[in-house]
Amino acid sequence: MTVDERPAPPEASATDGRLPAWRPLEDDPHWYERAVFYELLPRGFYDSNRDGVGDLRGIVEKLDYLAWLGIDCIWLLPFYPSPLRDGGYDVADYWSVAPDCGTVEDAAVLVEQAHRRGIRVIADLVINHTSDQHPWFVESRSSRDNPKADWYVWGDDDQRWSDVRVIFCDAEPSNWTFDPVRQQFYWHRFFHHQPDLNYENPDVREAILSVVRFWLDLGLDGFRLDAAAYLYQKDGTSGENLPETHDFLRQMRAEIDRDYPNRVLLAEVNQWPADVVDYFGDGDECHMCFHFPLMPRMFMAVRREQRFPITEILAQTPSLPAGCQWGIFLRNHDELTLEMVTDEERDYMYAEYARDPRMRRNLGIRRRLAPLVENDRGVAELLHALLLSLPGSPVLYYGDELLMGDNIYLGDRDGVRTPMQWTPDRNGGFSRADFAQLVLPPLMDPVYCYQAVNVEAGLRDQSSFLHWLQRMLAVRRQHPIFATGGIEVLPADNPSVLAYVRTSPDGDERAVLCVSNLSRFAQAAEISLARWRDTVPVELIGRAQFPRIDEDAYHVTLGPHGFYWLELEVRR
Amino acid sequence: MIVAPELGGIGSLAAAYLERQAWYHAVVGHEGGEDVALLSAEVLRPGSPGLARLVLGRGGSRFQLLVGSRPPAEAAEVLGSREAALLGQLTVAGATVLAYDALADDELCVELLVHVTGGSQRASMVRRVSTLVSHASLVFDERLFMKCYRVLEPGARPEVEVMLRLDEVGFNAMLAPVAHWREDGYDLALVREFQPSALEGRLLAFTSLRDLLAHACAPDDSQPVERAPSEAARARADPDAETAAAGGDLAAEMRRLGSTTARLHLALAEVFGDVPATRETFAAAVGDETGRVERELAGLRDDAAGRVVRLHGDYHLRRVMRSEAGWLVAGFGDDPLNGTDAAGSSLTGRRGSPLEDIADMCASLKMVAREALAQRAPEEAETATHLADAWIRRNETAFLDGYVGTDGASRLLPDDPALVGLLLAGFGRERMLRYEATSSEA
Repeated sequence: MTVDERPAPPEASATDGRLPAWRPLEDDPHWYERAVFYELLPRGFYDSNRDGVGDLRGIVEKLDYLAWLGIDCIWLLPFYPSPLRDGGYDVADYWSVAPDCGTVEDAAVLVEQAHRRGIRVIADLVINHTSDQHPWFVESRSSRDNPKADWYVWGDDDQRWSDVRVIFCDAEPSNWTFDPVRQQFYWHRFFHHQPDLNYENPDVREAILSVVRFWLDLGLDGFRLDAAAYLYQKDGTSGENLPETHDFLRQMRAEIDRDYPNRVLLAEVNQWPADVVDYFGDGDECHMCFHFPLMPRMFMAVRREQRFPITEILAQTPSLPAGCQWGIFLRNHDELTLEMVTDEERDYMYAEYARDPRMRRNLGIRRRLAPLVENDRGVAELLHALLLSLPGSPVLYYGDELLMGDNIYLGDRDGVRTPMQWTPDRNGGFSRADFAQLVLPPLMDPVYCYQAVNVEAGLRDQSSFLHWLQRMLAVRRQHPIFATGGIEVLPADNPSVLAYVRTSPDGDERAVLCVSNLSRFAQAAEISLARWRDTVPVELIGRAQFPRIDEDAYHVTLGPHGFYWLELEVRR
Repeated sequence: MIVAPELGGIGSLAAAYLERQAWYHAVVGHEGGEDVALLSAEVLRPGSPGLARLVLGRGGSRFQLLVGSRPPAEAAEVLGSREAALLGQLTVAGATVLAYDALADDELCVELLVHVTGGSQRASMVRRVSTLVSHASLVFDERLFMKCYRVLEPGARPEVEVMLRLDEVGFNAMLAPVAHWREDGYDLALVREFQPSALEGRLLAFTSLRDLLAHACAPDDSQPVERAPSEAARARADPDAETAAAGGDLAAEMRRLGSTTARLHLALAEVFGDVPATRETFAAAVGDETGRVERELAGLRDDAAGRVVRLHGDYHLRRVMRSEAGWLVAGFGDDPLNGTDAAGSSLTGRRGSPLEDIADMCASLKMVAREALAQRAPEEAETATHLADAWIRRNETAFLDGYVGTDGASRLLPDDPALVGLLLAGFGRERMLRYEATSSEA
């Protein structure tokens, strides 16, 4: 399908989920290698039943918008019943949907309707721990000899594994908490209200696998596995990345491969790429892992106005087994350490980032993309051009396609979880409930307010960032080389210019040259393109021809924060 | 003279070829004199294309020439427009071939790489970087760099020796040697890693200051509404803060460069030894008008003066390169990204306090600042100069912090930080005076 054949943009406020399918789901086991993901918060996306809280039915109503935008897969943040002491990552029931988000039937409808539009749906799955209100834990703590007594990790003292770091060191003094009911300590890598499951117990492993099967039977296309690195504990180790953890993930993958074709496991393992790569196994563990260090380095490169933050991490990124893919992103529902824009933090990133996967909560800054770049459209476009052209499947965060703002006064991470802004109407079109009922207040500041920044306005304005991004996603889709091609960083004589070539995965001569100016000022650079001598670069968006490459050094000039995607067409 | 029988007649062709080369005359001059003699000829690859290594001599000078041979039509196709590489026609085993400078033939360059590396390296592409007096430079597949010496010197070349020795003790902040070709006591070629995307430090530094000045020197376009002060106003008010907050801030890079420099000095000390510094070590730093350096030095105990080590000796921002693997020290006479002739560039084996190399680098920052300031309009001079001074302070401090923060480095410098500052200022003053003198002579 070409860009022009795509459907007209839907009305932002319309659609009831009964629009005709226009892009059938392809039978493709490697779809995730080419997909663009869209992370959304069910409670913050669209409220279909006027209770002030976004819900699964609300997402169904907005599927046509997402199809128009050109995303391939929705990633749903947790929608399970939960006391919500950690954004839903404290699950109290794996087999249901939280009442304010809808029902299991609603989830089935969402999946079905998404599939009709060629969109897949994956969901967060928290497998390391549960809420302390989960019936399993309630039973486990009730005595030392109940049927689930060994479903969690219990100890008579809090001394074992004392060398294992405390991840939420600001909030938790220890990884052990004393339970007055059972009169024992239980183990938790995160908050004390999130007891770790005991994966040594085969019943636990089977229970989690049955959860996986339940949701895959319902039609989900896979999971984003939360905190996948901490499933096991072992004396004398850090309790992270243990072989037993990999064994269990491989077991899960094997079950999926056997019974559920075309599904994906996307792991959250916030470590350096060289360590994360173990989670791909030999192509028999997770299909995807997030590439965490790349994100802050894209911001650093723009802030530093030089390419080394990006090229360094690319140089440290190992190649992946066949059928595996990185997940890359600019912003998400959590914070990541972005104080690296100062020297100290940059050096801090080098030395410390990998040591504490969840440090971002304590140290991150709570900003969305637009406020981070001071609402500079040029920088936002450049960052997205990098995101869409670097190796990996891009993960967009809801609202960033509008350059939505945030509300830092909401505290914790709620500042980046304000309701999606659909229209300039009441509550930004998110909900028809009373303002006071809303899960979080929509933005009303003079720059990012929903009256100005909303889907309807973005759709109406052909030069909006929304239209620009939709166009870029379409261009990316037309060139699978961005998704599965190799990458070769090219020498350029200007430190502010980043140049790389995405090379054909099939070994032929097709290639796309990506050149970016990371500086606020216009720049010129000479790029070494000896291998592509005699080819004619063609700009991918406007199809304009550039001068033939006939020398070792190819001269390019770029405006402030400008970029080119140039197809290297061989015309010998 | 050893000449392989199949190379009969090559001597006169090679001598005539040398006479046509500028690099040859750069060594022997343009005066007539004794003839060039063929001292040896060795076949490296028989058959076609053939490859041979010739050594020619005139007076006390020796020259290495790598000669290729092919049938005439083939040679013409391979050489293309590089006709100047042609030596002439030879008869080998009854067949006529053309002999030419083998470095003009991609296939033979790769053959040479295979020979020099003992077969451990091969390549599919070759690029000629530069032709300097002492050597020709080739880049293979954008990953290996070969320096093929034209002018041969007896004994180990200092730059080769230093590089190999530093590599032996694990100093990795340089383009690592991959293979070394030495015969009969002469260094013939050196193959090293190549980092195509590495950038000269001066370029990074210049970009940093240029963008800072461009950002902060913008005109103060007052508006009739309450607003934040302009960048220029902020810069005038607090140049240090403005420099620290600037996008292209260089301080983190300079801190890392300081650490790399310390590791270089520690490695040089390990390889070539070190001795305690004395008051005389710092003689060049003395000479300020107040005589303060001299007074402070008078009280310096020898056991608190740091060490004397073999210096880099020509340490500035053009001699360091930023790569994906961090900073690399170049300028051991073999800098592939630097077009200057290596012959007089570096490693004289000079010894001294590491403060001398540090002072050289700090002076280099000042040079960059002068260059950047020269590009600003006169009306911006005051703000720009304040900013440039703050930029120099910030980056010098970061560089020194990185240096002294490196394990083991503090023993190389005098114990007293205040004295270190004074000596650095003294060496720096001496460097700038020398620079001014050189500039005015020029």
